[in-house]
Amino acid sequence: MASYLARRTGYMLLILTISSVVIFYALRTAPGGPSGGGVLNPLSSQEIRQAYDKRMGLDQPVYTQYFIYLGHIVRGDLGTSLANGTPIVELLGTHARNSLVLGLTALLISYVIAIPLGVLAAVKRNTWVDQLAMGGAILGMGIPNFWLALILVYFFSLRLGWLPSAGCCDPPQLILPALVLAAEGTAVTMRMTRSSMLEHLHDDFVRALRAKGLPEWQVILRHVLRNALIPVISLTGLRLGWLVGYALIVETIFRWPGVGYLLVDSVLRRDYPVAQVFSLLLIVFVLLANWFADIAYGLANPRIRVA
Amino acid sequence: MSGSELALEVKDLRTTLFLREGRVDVVRGVSFQLKQGETLALVGESGCGKTMTALSIMRLLPDPPARVTHGQVLLAGADVSRMPEHQMRSLRGETVSIVFQEPLTSLDPVFTIGDQIVEAITSHRKLQRGEAREMAVEILKEVQIPSPGQRLKDYPHQLSGGMRQRVMIAMALVLDPKVLIADEPTTALDVTIQAQILDLIRTEQEQRRLAVLLITHNLPVVSQVADRVAVMYAGEVVEEAPASEIFSDPRHPYTQGLLSSIPSAAGDHKHLYTIPGRVPDPRVLPPACLFAPRCPYALRRCWQEHPELEATVSAGHADTSTQPDRHLLRCWNPQPFTALQAIEPQEVDRRIATSE
Ligand SMILES: Nc1ncnc2c1ncn2[C@@H]1O[C@H](COP(=O)(O)OP(=O)(O)OP(=O)(O)O)[C@@H](O)[C@H]1O
Ligand SMILES: [Mg+2]
Repeated sequence: MASYLARRTGYMLLILTISSVVIFYALRTAPGGPSGGGVLNPLSSQEIRQAYDKRMGLDQPVYTQYFIYLGHIVRGDLGTSLANGTPIVELLGTHARNSLVLGLTALLISYVIAIPLGVLAAVKRNTWVDQLAMGGAILGMGIPNFWLALILVYFFSLRLGWLPSAGCCDPPQLILPALVLAAEGTAVTMRMTRSSMLEHLHDDFVRALRAKGLPEWQVILRHVLRNALIPVISLTGLRLGWLVGYALIVETIFRWPGVGYLLVDSVLRRDYPVAQVFSLLLIVFVLLANWFADIAYGLANPRIRVA
Repeated sequence: MSGSELALEVKDLRTTLFLREGRVDVVRGVSFQLKQGETLALVGESGCGKTMTALSIMRLLPDPPARVTHGQVLLAGADVSRMPEHQMRSLRGETVSIVFQEPLTSLDPVFTIGDQIVEAITSHRKLQRGEAREMAVEILKEVQIPSPGQRLKDYPHQLSGGMRQRVMIAMALVLDPKVLIADEPTTALDVTIQAQILDLIRTEQEQRRLAVLLITHNLPVVSQVADRVAVMYAGEVVEEAPASEIFSDPRHPYTQGLLSSIPSAAGDHKHLYTIPGRVPDPRVLPPACLFAPRCPYALRRCWQEHPELEATVSAGHADTSTQPDRHLLRCWNPQPFTALQAIEPQEVDRRIATSE
């Protein structure tokens, strides 16, 4: 176990180091820069820009900048935003919390919808219930995020006026972005629950459970579902990873001040320190999510857990 | 014999598969009776409908495609054929239990042995979990599982095949049913373990006066444990008799063929008898004896008329057609048993070809 942890941690540090170099380099080779209109007034003179770059150390070669930056990071200094001088630690707190709220809500919505419907579709296989659920799933997987967002905003905000179209952080403002973020995951989870249920509905042990005189609901909901959820649970880890990608889009569309929103904003403004920290944060999150997927699979499946 | 003593009675059971190609009767007119404390062995080649018969009794047929289309099943006198499902459910495990061939896949892999036994109990009896656990420990002890308290916490994959089958038997017996159906309970196990499991079934049967329906295609197993034997062929019972008679005086050529293909009975290991030909295609059954194409003694009549299952007078016995040890036979031309010689298969094939 200890060696497993050490290996995992080493692997993560390696990935982080490589990605930090790539991100650092990519940001700095992108046209413009903090002084080129991102942070400074785009109309400021050449002298002002040069002075700014010199003050910020942006006139140094990229590798020198990288090692200076690394020195700060190692000492635990994440820096401040170039745009408004806010310490990045502070930004991390609020934005990470907002993203977590949004992400967890989306995850919850998708499981609450997907698992019961997946079970129902499997049990009522080839009936209209099944076809409706699966039709919905295909729609949910096929429709692009931003398009769904536009449709929902059009109906629920503009037409019906029931929900705000953007903003943070009241429950009504959470609903639309969470729904959009949940859509694809719901569809994928529902299909997976259904097919996994169908696979286990014909297992030998199901007949043996019925032979013990168990009520049918107990056979389905306690036993078949529990077996069918193993792949669904391990999919959660991967889904957390996907959510990161979608969060960039959804948070930007709904102006939800989460990690994704801030990352997109900081990249556009060439706010280097913020962009660096937040992109690395997302990478750490994806790595942890994949790790979690492994662990969850083991927890859900006693055959792996004990072995 | 008094009717109340019967634990299980199957009357003219027909089970049909509704397939895309059409209807196929896989169990055709099967009848038998099973008294308390008695073991009836149901033997026959793979695919002859033994499992379908068992599942019909339990009303656990895979539907679709299979359904009982005729006949009755009486469990301890009660007709289960038309019972509502909830009532049938309360009989499963309580009055009739079944042990399947493959103990690993018959247990839910993600629940512990303890959970699975406890749930079998609590789905029938209003008991506290603790009381049910005590029952579980007791029954595991009874089927000779060492340190039963520990085993309750194990998952199925942590036990050996023999232990798992003991668990299955324990689970089947925990509510003290009247009838135990064992569908090839030892086929998936090592030979040494097989004997232990059979011993266990035998012991439990004697203690509990269980009626046991033992399904197998292993005749040596039958000789060890069965009181009576029903031989099935292509969905029909072709011979039924006390076990001793089946072995000493088999009348049906198919039964004789089965016995001749046991190494010890044939005596000659090099030329072991194999019944020529294959089981007929159940979709196109002729109005004839179904075994005729494979039978060494087939007459013209065998190809033209379907024989019924009838009481026969066996050698050295009085007419016993109404007695419990009656000998039933479905054959137009029974012959005395001499272990069949290893007939060259080609020869029989030629005979089949000419007679068709
Ligand atoms: N789900 C099914 N669909 C189609 N045919 C089936 C199905 N289940 C069983 N059968 C057919 O029904 C017939 C009887 O099968 P059954 O399982 O009762 O045989 P068995 O005597 O138990 O054989 P074995 O010794 O192999 O267990 C076989 O011909 C089999 O091919
Ligand atoms: Mg079978």
